[in-house]
Amino acid sequence: MNENPADVAPELCVLIAAVLGLVNGLFLPRTRQWRVAVICAAGLVAGLAVAAVDATRPDLVVFDAFFVDPITHVTRITVLGATLLVLALAAGPVRDHPRESEHYVLILLSALGAMMLGASSDLLVVVAAYLLASIPAYALAGFGKDAHGTEAALKYYLMGAFLGVVMLAGVTLLYGVGRGTAYGTLRAGLADAPSAAVSAGVVALLAGLLFKAGAVPGQFWVPDVTEGSPPAVAAFVTTVPKIGAFAALLRFGSEALPPGGGWPALVAVISAITMTLGNLAAFGQDNVRRLLAYSTVSQAGYLLVPVAMAGRTDLARTALLFYVAAYAVTNLGAFAAVLATGRDDLAAYTGLLRASPPLGIALVVCLLGFVGTPPTAVFVGKVLMFGAAIDGRYAWLAAVAAINTVASVFYYLRWIVPLFRRPDGALRPARAASAVAVAAALFSLALGIGAGVALTA
Amino acid sequence: MIAALAGTPLLAGALLLLAGRRTGRAAPALGVLVAAAVLALAVAAAVTRPATRFALLPGWPGGTAIDGLSGVLVVTVASVLLAILLFAAGGGYGARFFGLMLLFAGAMLVTVTATDLVLLLMGWEVMGAMSYALIGYEWREAEPVRSADVAFLTTRAADLGLYAAAGFAVAGAHSLALPSLAGAAEPWRGLAAGGIVLAALGKSAQLPFSFWLSRAMIGPSPVSALLHSATMVAAGAYLLLRMHPLLAATGWAGTLVAWVGAVTALVLGAVALAQSDLKQLLAASTCAQIGFMVLGAGAGSVSGGTAQLVAHAAVKSLLFLCAGAWLTALGTRRLDELHGAARRYRLVGAAFGAGALALAGLPPLALWVTKDEVLTAAGDRSPALLAVGLAASVLSAAYSTKALFAVWRGTRTDGAPVPVLARVPLVVLAVAACVLGVLGSRGVADALGIPGGTRVNGLELAVSGALAAVTMVAVRFARTVPAPAWAVDWLFLERAARAGVVRPAFAAARALARFDDRVVDGAVRAVARSGPWAAGLAGRGAELRLDGLVTGVGRGARRLAALARRPQTGLVHTYYAQAAVLLAVLVAVALLAGW
Repeated sequence: MNENPADVAPELCVLIAAVLGLVNGLFLPRTRQWRVAVICAAGLVAGLAVAAVDATRPDLVVFDAFFVDPITHVTRITVLGATLLVLALAAGPVRDHPRESEHYVLILLSALGAMMLGASSDLLVVVAAYLLASIPAYALAGFGKDAHGTEAALKYYLMGAFLGVVMLAGVTLLYGVGRGTAYGTLRAGLADAPSAAVSAGVVALLAGLLFKAGAVPGQFWVPDVTEGSPPAVAAFVTTVPKIGAFAALLRFGSEALPPGGGWPALVAVISAITMTLGNLAAFGQDNVRRLLAYSTVSQAGYLLVPVAMAGRTDLARTALLFYVAAYAVTNLGAFAAVLATGRDDLAAYTGLLRASPPLGIALVVCLLGFVGTPPTAVFVGKVLMFGAAIDGRYAWLAAVAAINTVASVFYYLRWIVPLFRRPDGALRPARAASAVAVAAALFSLALGIGAGVALTA
Repeated sequence: MIAALAGTPLLAGALLLLAGRRTGRAAPALGVLVAAAVLALAVAAAVTRPATRFALLPGWPGGTAIDGLSGVLVVTVASVLLAILLFAAGGGYGARFFGLMLLFAGAMLVTVTATDLVLLLMGWEVMGAMSYALIGYEWREAEPVRSADVAFLTTRAADLGLYAAAGFAVAGAHSLALPSLAGAAEPWRGLAAGGIVLAALGKSAQLPFSFWLSRAMIGPSPVSALLHSATMVAAGAYLLLRMHPLLAATGWAGTLVAWVGAVTALVLGAVALAQSDLKQLLAASTCAQIGFMVLGAGAGSVSGGTAQLVAHAAVKSLLFLCAGAWLTALGTRRLDELHGAARRYRLVGAAFGAGALALAGLPPLALWVTKDEVLTAAGDRSPALLAVGLAASVLSAAYSTKALFAVWRGTRTDGAPVPVLARVPLVVLAVAACVLGVLGSRGVADALGIPGGTRVNGLELAVSGALAAVTMVAVRFARTVPAPAWAVDWLFLERAARAGVVRPAFAAARALARFDDRVVDGAVRAVARSGPWAAGLAGRGAELRLDGLVTGVGRGARRLAALARRPQTGLVHTYYAQAAVLLAVLVAVALLAGW
């Protein structure tokens, strides 16, 4: 058994940064707590560097609990990069906050959970990672201690607790019929297990992962938390844990289940329902954060398409990994724009393009990116996703996704069109958040244009 | 060398035109200086015989070159230009006049030195445009402009033949070089020859295009002197002489050209005899004399035609300048009002006399020799051609005598003096008119390198000289010279052109305009009208259904959207219930799907 801690060095970097940040935060005066942000950022950058080096090494298994393979590499890099952007977004609003250092540390711990979720090769580790990713996020949701934040945190926690318990039940069931919790064991054990028990166990397990992914039936928290919690936290919980959740879903579907089961059909149905529900619910929204929340639900639906195709086509893994990275960048860019303007109503965005051209253009790029307009990154992700669906002989799913994509143009345009109008009030976007939005938009374009390079790497 | 020769007058002319009035009184001096420089360059070029090869169009090589024929021509053009500009320098003309004259002469120099059709066409066209500007020099009056229109449109219409010839040359010989045309494949060779003959006849005012020359007489006398001697009309004759191998190769073209030339010489001789206006007489005689050159080109006597061209250039520019001098001094160009003009201005009268006698073909003056060289060649070809040519030379003796006696008869004392500057070129040109007959001798032609020399028939020379002398005496003692209406009015050629070409063209244009208005425009309007009609139909019929469909989809989506927000109650216990139910459904789905 490989027990070399150096193989999980990126995770260790994040953990060490979190611990150091917490300890430092205890002794630093309130006005100097920004140093914790620097420590956390340094940990993330170090993690990114190590993860990039790790990505060039052959695949292996560590502690019999973690896979270190391309899925892990992409999850690590995406989570670390996205968390870095979130940190930049969060640094402004929580500056000199009484619990500033705790904020950063909670973000880092939740991100660590997401990374573990994507790497785990054992159901018990999945549960642990789920808890690690979730519990700091509950605290973050209620960080503002205001009425909305508290309600959001409570709903988030109650949903998480319920579906987490269901997931634990699922794990128990699968352990019972599969005689183990490691993926390799399960793959062999589930082959001749009773189908009713397996399907009940799989669905119960999915409940927790879908909660983290923000997909049906675990989507209920998404609009409430996105609207109620601080924007930077909303950006975090709709982006980073999802990355880990989708990686875990893909891994479970392709490595823990014996081939030829009902997995593709099950996930395809969930995917279709999720994307349709998210799009339809986004139609009438006038609150941009609620709109973005439903948009993330529909994006989760698209992301489930390659998950459904796990094991059926080689394209599934490529599609999921590329799409999840593209989604993370685009989503963070859109939330950064919301944070920069500081307004939630759609009408407030009238004339943004004239008031602040860079921010306006960045927002347009991100929203068009959600639609899947070339040359943004999501476009390439969507093409790969459609390719995976058709390659896996799920053409109807591709058709549903295509119809949903067309329908989604409606509500993204509802946001884009006012941007071009004449401004009726003074808009003063925050500088740091604007910079993050522009950086995300640029990165989305770069990833889209350089997709060939990214895919071969 | 050639670039400098042609480029100097072109550049100087363009600059003069651009500078306009700002040059002030310097314009005449500048013009004369440039003309002198051009003459020096022309002589040098004629001696050194340079050649430049370049491709104006990529892949179609061409260039400029000076051989015997063009060497003689560039010197002639340059000499006549200098003489005329010198004469005009005292005439009160401005920068525009000198600029146009220089451009015109430059274009002629390009034309005679070009060895490919593209360059030739460029020179040819610029010359045509400048002739328009010069004939219409007095543009503030209506008549000169109308005459310029007639002249330009006529020559321009014939010029189209040259364009066609260029096309046929490309098709038949795969080359635009002039010498290659004779070797083109049939039928392209014949077609090219036809185009070239058409263009040359138009430019040379041969039948049936002669009438434009009559209209061109409205221009200033120096313009007439230049247009009708060494340039413009001479360009047509030059082109035919240059393309003689092509004419000979086709067989029919040479004969056609010879006969057109002979008939023009005869008929326009009669027209000249009938004129009562000195410039009109000279213009008709120009057509007739160019007819001899064309006859020479058709009959294969290139050296004869060239000699005739050069000698005629000197004679005719002299006569026009004399007419211009009298027009300025006495204010008239009518023959019956010019009585005594020669005695009043003895030097001008003497020069005019020398020119008129030369034009009459009196031995031993210039045109006697050169014309007879052409006639000898024509006689070798066909006795009928010789007979027509001799008749034409009788007529030329007759009209020359008519003009000569008109100005020498009687005495008068009125009139302004002729400036000294204007007298110098008259003397030089008069001497040239007397002695240029040497060009007709075979030795000179060979020395100059002009092909197609013929030995002059002594008997023919004697007969022609005697005929000229007898005719002069006859005209001197004749009571009246016949002047039939057809001859006075230039064979009604302009009226015929108006009736036969201009009016049908306008009628066709009007008919086509009506067709355009009624049918084409009507169709467009009908389409436009049918658009709203069809739109109305679609709006009433199909649109409602389609629109209903779209509205229905929108309404359905709206309803579904409202439905989609229903699960988001905000109440956690309903969330729990929904999640539980959904999970149960999903288990069922998974079971149904095959676990």
